[in-house]
Amino acid sequence: MTATSSKIEALKRQREMEVKKKKNQSPFGIIITGMVITIYLALINYNLDFSSYWIIGILMGITLQRSRFCFAASFRDPIMVGSTSLLKAVLLAFIVSTIGFFIIQLRASVANPDYLITELPGQFNPVGLHTALGAILFGTGMVVAGGCASGVLIRIGEGHAMQLVVLIGFIIGATLGAAHFPFWDGVLISKTPVVHFPNHIGFFPSLILQLLLLCGLYFIADWYDKKNNIMTT
Amino acid sequence: MAEYKLDCLFEACPIPLLKALKQLNKMEIGDVLIMHTDHNCSIKNVVEWTKKQGHLIDYIEIADGEWEIYIEKAK
Repeated sequence: MTATSSKIEALKRQREMEVKKKKNQSPFGIIITGMVITIYLALINYNLDFSSYWIIGILMGITLQRSRFCFAASFRDPIMVGSTSLLKAVLLAFIVSTIGFFIIQLRASVANPDYLITELPGQFNPVGLHTALGAILFGTGMVVAGGCASGVLIRIGEGHAMQLVVLIGFIIGATLGAAHFPFWDGVLISKTPVVHFPNHIGFFPSLILQLLLLCGLYFIADWYDKKNNIMTT
Repeated sequence: MAEYKLDCLFEACPIPLLKALKQLNKMEIGDVLIMHTDHNCSIKNVVEWTKKQGHLIDYIEIADGEWEIYIEKAK
């Protein structure tokens, strides 16, 4: 638990008495949950894809909000304050999804041995200079704006009005990006080959390789967290 | 013991932490800093950072989406 003291406890108690009781939000919660489930059930009969997107999106939103997960902070905090707890969470998520995608892709390739990369489930995109360019642009923007896409949406929902400005910028940026995507595609992306490790070294070796790399990064992050306190005075 | 207030409303993620850091440097041991924020990220990273530094910390939600963080400088 939190390390606290009598001074802090006294301040908290005093403040809790001053602050008027918050309105009970349970009725709203029940109504919204009912609406969500109704829309889900209605969509199941209409379009199975839409209903899955709907329920997965809502569950992801709840998880992100309750866990205060923040992609921007996970990549900024290691450099700014030397704390890597969120970065470790991202690495764990990669490890879990690596195993998940491995199972899905293995099943698909067993079902159809003469598979083509593009036929396997998942998104295969070429990695190259454009990846680095995009990462620098997005990283700069995300740190200045104080959040990535999911963080911005969560905080708008919580009433942090400043991020509405970010959302407007986000919409403009996404529209501009979509408008000159053909340019980047022509100059860089379509000229870069798609690299899919299982194609070259087989499914199991590439799984082991990727898990080893991710675990290595995890331990480096853990060590860095214990060693580093960049802002120590 | 002195009490300091820090208004971090509408400040995005790293700013509340940086403000707290600056203020903590000016304070004496035993002083308490009260931060007022509406950015949920602060709950996570200010609390984590402060604990790591060995200061005492706790927070309450004073309104929907608004928190007060109490930090006692311990060293």
